[in-house]
Amino acid sequence: MGPLYLFELASSQARWLELRQSTIAANVANANTPGFKARDVEPFNKILDAAPVRLALTSPAHIQLSAVDSDTRATTKKDSWDVVHSGNSVSLEQEMTKGGEVNRDYSMNAAIVRSFHRMLLSGVKV
Amino acid sequence: MLDSLQASLAIATSGLEAQSTRMRIVSENLANANATGRAPGSDPYQRKTVTFDGEMDRAAGAQLVKIKDVGVDHTPFRVEYDPGHPAADKTGYVKLPNVNMMIEMADMREVNRSYEANLQVVKQVRSMVGMTIDLLRGA
Repeated sequence: MGPLYLFELASSQARWLELRQSTIAANVANANTPGFKARDVEPFNKILDAAPVRLALTSPAHIQLSAVDSDTRATTKKDSWDVVHSGNSVSLEQEMTKGGEVNRDYSMNAAIVRSFHRMLLSGVKV
Repeated sequence: MLDSLQASLAIATSGLEAQSTRMRIVSENLANANATGRAPGSDPYQRKTVTFDGEMDRAAGAQLVKIKDVGVDHTPFRVEYDPGHPAADKTGYVKLPNVNMMIEMADMREVNRSYEANLQVVKQVRSMVGMTIDLLRGA
């Protein structure tokens, strides 16, 4: 069994959730802008599964770009619930649902990080 | 570039600002719904309209919203026969503003809904930041 990078995984999911929250905020703010197309980010499992070309680190001064930073970008989504006459495809109900989802996932993520931390501490404190 | 959560707050705030400007225009229209001109035959208050535009803030890496333009509605004025009115023309007709109460009310409801949605985003971001801070506190 290979090593599990628990904190790395948890923090990249947290970053992904933050980015998703920021695209939701942009959608909601532009809910009345004519011609604005609602956007979403790539699903997290798709980012994890994809093996992107990484930059090699040959010096400690190089900055590591994680998969989340390089691959998470807003894409135009095609499954919007409604498109109004002005060409705006933001559905407030859908955005609110997504916002609740992000919030729930983030809360689970924080709980998991806390339990990892307790695990590590229990190892140290013996 | 801002942190994603800070960017979310900036975006939601720009949304709140845009919707409150729109509310101001709606209330201006409602307040002036019966404002006629002074001189005989002169034009009354003309209904104002507001348009939004998406704006990419490159420094913050965020898609904000801003007021593009406050324009005027060019639909024809209502006319009413009232020869005694100071703004009546020679034939006795007075021009009244082209403000339709029903349209303004519908617009007001929409402003309310959008404002609420932006506020909800702010609340969610706040709770996410709170959860992150609680990680430090609880450990």
